[in-house]
Amino acid sequence: MLKFALEKLMTVVMTMLGIAILTFLITNVAPGDPARLIAGPNATADMVDTIRTEYGLDKSLPEQFVVYMGDLLRGDLGRSLVSTKPVLDELLRYAPATIELVLVAMALGIVIGVPLGMLSALWRDSWLDQATRIFSISGVALPAFWFGILLQLLFAVHMGWLPVSGRLPLMTRPPEPITHLLLVDALLRGQWGTFVEGLRYIILPALVLSFPCLASILRVNRAEMIEVLNSDHVTAARAYGLSPFRVVAIYALKNAMLPTLAMIGLRFGWMLGSTVMVETVFDWPGLGLYSVTSALNSDFKPVIGCTLLIGFLFVLTNILVDLSYTLIDPRLRKK
Amino acid sequence: MLNRLTRRLVLGMALATTALAGLPAQAFERTDEGNVIVFGGRQAIPVLDPHVRYDWSTRMVQQAVYDALFKYEGNPAELKPWLAQSWEVSEDGKTWTVKLVENAKFHNGDPVNAEAVRYSFERGLVLNKGVAWMYKAFLAPENITVVDEFTVRFQLTEPFAAFQSFLPWWYIVNPAQVKANEVDGDWGQAWLVDHAAGSGPFELGRWEPNALYEMKARKDYWRGWESGDKAPAGVVYRIITEPAAQKAALQRGEADIVEGLTSDDYVQIARVPNIVIQNHAGMTTFGIKFNTQLGPTADINLRKAIAYAMDYDALVAIYNGNAVLETSPFPQGMRGHIDVEGIPRQDLALAKEYLAKTEWANGGLKLQYVHLTGLEEARRIGLVLLDNLKQIGIEVELVSETWPNMVAKGATVETSPHMTSVYTTPISTDPDSVAYQYHPSSHGQYFAMHFYNNPEVAAKIEAARAATDWDTRAALYADIQKQVVADQPEVFGMLQNRRWAHQDYLKGFNFSPVRFTGEVDLYQLWIDAE
Repeated sequence: MLKFALEKLMTVVMTMLGIAILTFLITNVAPGDPARLIAGPNATADMVDTIRTEYGLDKSLPEQFVVYMGDLLRGDLGRSLVSTKPVLDELLRYAPATIELVLVAMALGIVIGVPLGMLSALWRDSWLDQATRIFSISGVALPAFWFGILLQLLFAVHMGWLPVSGRLPLMTRPPEPITHLLLVDALLRGQWGTFVEGLRYIILPALVLSFPCLASILRVNRAEMIEVLNSDHVTAARAYGLSPFRVVAIYALKNAMLPTLAMIGLRFGWMLGSTVMVETVFDWPGLGLYSVTSALNSDFKPVIGCTLLIGFLFVLTNILVDLSYTLIDPRLRKK
Repeated sequence: MLNRLTRRLVLGMALATTALAGLPAQAFERTDEGNVIVFGGRQAIPVLDPHVRYDWSTRMVQQAVYDALFKYEGNPAELKPWLAQSWEVSEDGKTWTVKLVENAKFHNGDPVNAEAVRYSFERGLVLNKGVAWMYKAFLAPENITVVDEFTVRFQLTEPFAAFQSFLPWWYIVNPAQVKANEVDGDWGQAWLVDHAAGSGPFELGRWEPNALYEMKARKDYWRGWESGDKAPAGVVYRIITEPAAQKAALQRGEADIVEGLTSDDYVQIARVPNIVIQNHAGMTTFGIKFNTQLGPTADINLRKAIAYAMDYDALVAIYNGNAVLETSPFPQGMRGHIDVEGIPRQDLALAKEYLAKTEWANGGLKLQYVHLTGLEEARRIGLVLLDNLKQIGIEVELVSETWPNMVAKGATVETSPHMTSVYTTPISTDPDSVAYQYHPSSHGQYFAMHFYNNPEVAAKIEAARAATDWDTRAALYADIQKQVVADQPEVFGMLQNRRWAHQDYLKGFNFSPVRFTGEVDLYQLWIDAE
C-alpha cells in the first residue's frame, strides 16, 4: 500500500512539474504585451515600464522562469496582472463553483448514462436502443456553445422555466460558506429556498456539460453489459433461478462497471477543461470563465494556475478511480 | 416492463421540471429600499481604483461611486461643474484655481475639501498608472497647492489647452480612508481594487468578481437626485459575457439594460414588445490604419489607391444604416471639426491612377488586414476591402488577432501590420485628444499604429495644445485635419452609432458621446413602475 501511495505521489509531483514548465513556456512565447495592455490605451512608455517592473516582466524569460518556479515551490502562484490579486486567492475563490458544476454534471452523467446503457443492452436493437444511439451521437457531436444557447432560448426565453445564466438570483445572498459548494452549504444551513434556486441555476449548465460525458458512459456501459450478459457466469446465475433484477443489477452491472469507471475518470478531466465554454455561455463564475478571461487579456499567471489546478484535480480523480477498482474487483485487491 | 419504466421516467422528469421551474423572472429587482436596476454588461471590473485603471465598465462604476471636479453630460457633451463651484485661469493659461462646493461629503461623512483634491491628483501622478498620462507632462505633484479649505490651485509647467477637458476623469478619493488602508506605502492600491473611498451617488455593495458588482444608492447624496422619490435603491452591474445570453436576459427580464449586442441582434430585439433601443451618433471612429513607414503601405500612392477603392457605403450597410461616414479625421461633434473637402470616396478610376504610380501597377501585391478576433463587423469590413481591392489587382489576407496581440503588434513599426482595423473613442471633447493621435509621441499606441510622422503637422498639434485662444486653435486644427487627410495614414471610415437595449420602464437614459463604448451615466437612471 505504501509503495502504491508513493508511486501515485510521484506521479502527481512529476505531472504538476511538467504542466508548470509547459504552460509557462507556451504562455510566455505567445505574442502579446500584457504590460502595455494593462497600462491602458494612452499610457506612455514609462507608464508601461512601471507595470513591467512591478510584475517582473522586465526580466529575461529564463529569469522569470526561475523566479516563477521558486515561488511555485513555496506555494506562491504569483499575482494576476488584470486583478492585481494573488492567483492562489483567486483560484480558491473560483474553484468551488467549477467543482460543484462538474460534480453535478458528473452525477447527471452517471445517473442517466448508466441505467440507459443498461436498458439499451437489455433491449438491444429495440426503439429504446435506437433512441439512445441517436442521443449518444448527438451528445458527442453537439458543440457545447451552441447547445447551451439553444437550451437558454428554449427553457429560459420561450418557456420561462429556468434562468438564463448566473449562479443565484441577484438579490439572493449565498449561504455562509462551510464547504464553499453552494448547494451543499444551502443544505447544511437548512436554506431550502436557496437550495432550490441553486438547482434551478445549475441545471442547464450541468446538463450541457454532462451531455457528451453521459453519451460516452451510456455507450461504454451498453457495450460492456452486452458482453457480460453473454458470459458464462450470467448464464449460470440465470440457470440457478436468480431473479432477473438480481442477475442484471448485481452480477452483470458490477462486472460491466470497470471500463465505465475508467471512462468516468477520463471524462472528469475532460469536463474540467470543458467548463471554459459552458461557464462562458452561462456566466458561471468559476475557473473556466476566469481562465478564458485571463487568457484573452494575456494574463498568464492565472492561466498557469488554472492549468495546474485542473491538472491536479484530473490526476487526483484518476487515482481515486484506480482505488475504486479495488473496491469493485476483489482480484485487484489481492494483487 | 419497458413501457411502464418509460412512463415512470417521463412522469418523474416532468415532476422534477415542474418543481424546479419557477415563474418567469420579474422585470427588475425589488428590495425593501426600492427598485434595483440590473445592467447586463460583457466586461468585468477587475480594479476599481480610479487612478490605476479605466475602461468603459470600470469608469461607469467609478463615476457612480466617485465625484470629479467636472462631469460630462448631454449630447453634444458639455462640461458641467460638479465638485467645482467656480474656476479661474491665468492669462498665460498656466494657473488654474478651482473653488469647490462646500456641501460635498464623502460616504463616511468627511468633507470633500481642497486637500482631498490635492491628494487625489498627487496620488494619480505618483502612481504613474491609468489616468496619469493626461497631465504628467504638464503638472508636477508639488505644483498642486491648497489655497484654503475649499480652494485648490494647479500650476502647470506650460499651458495646456485641454487641461479642463480631462478633469472629469480624475476622481476625488478620501485621503483619510485611503491612508488608513495603505500597506507598505502602496497608496492604498490593494484596498482600492474592490473598495471605494468616494463621494458619488452610490456606494459599493456586494463585489463578486466575474459575477456581479452591486452599488447602493446614497439617498443623502450631496447633490440630491433629479429623479426624486423615483430614484433607484441601487444598480447591479451583472456580467453577461455572450451577446446571445445578453439578449436572452433582456427578453426574459433578467436585465433591464444591456450593451454590446451585435448589429443584427439590435435589429431583432427592437421588434420585441416593451424593449427600447437607444441609438445615438457617437464619436467612436473606425479607421483602417496603414503602416506608413514600412512595407508597401509606406507608399502614399498605394494608400490613396486603397482609400479610393474602398466602398464606403458598405461600411454603413454593415451597421444596418446605423453609422455615418467620417468627413474628417476628427469625429463629427468634436469641437473644431471641419468637413474636409476631397476626403476619399469610392472612385475606382482614380484608385487605378494612383496604383499606376506605384511599383505594383501590374498587380502582384498581397496585403494583410488585421481585425479583432470576435468582432464580426470588423471582419465583414475586411471582406468588403478584400472584394474592393481585388478590382484593382490587390490581394488581401484577413488576419484575426486577439486584443493583446493586436496591441503588441501595433507597438513597433517593424511589427505593425499593413492595414489594421481600429476603433477609437476620444477621451475628451477637446480636439487635442484626437489630433494627438497623429503626433509622433503617440507612436506605439494602438490608435497610432500608422506611425504617421509629418513634422509640420506635429508642430501644429503642439502649437494648438499650448494656445490659449480658441480662434488660433481652431485655425490650426482645420489645417491639421486637411493635411492628415492629404497624407492618408488611414482609410477614414465611419462613426458607428452607439446602442443599448433596455426595458421601456427604464427612464433617465442620458446619452453623451464622450463616454466610452457601453458606458452609461447610472446616476440619472430610474424605473417608472411600482
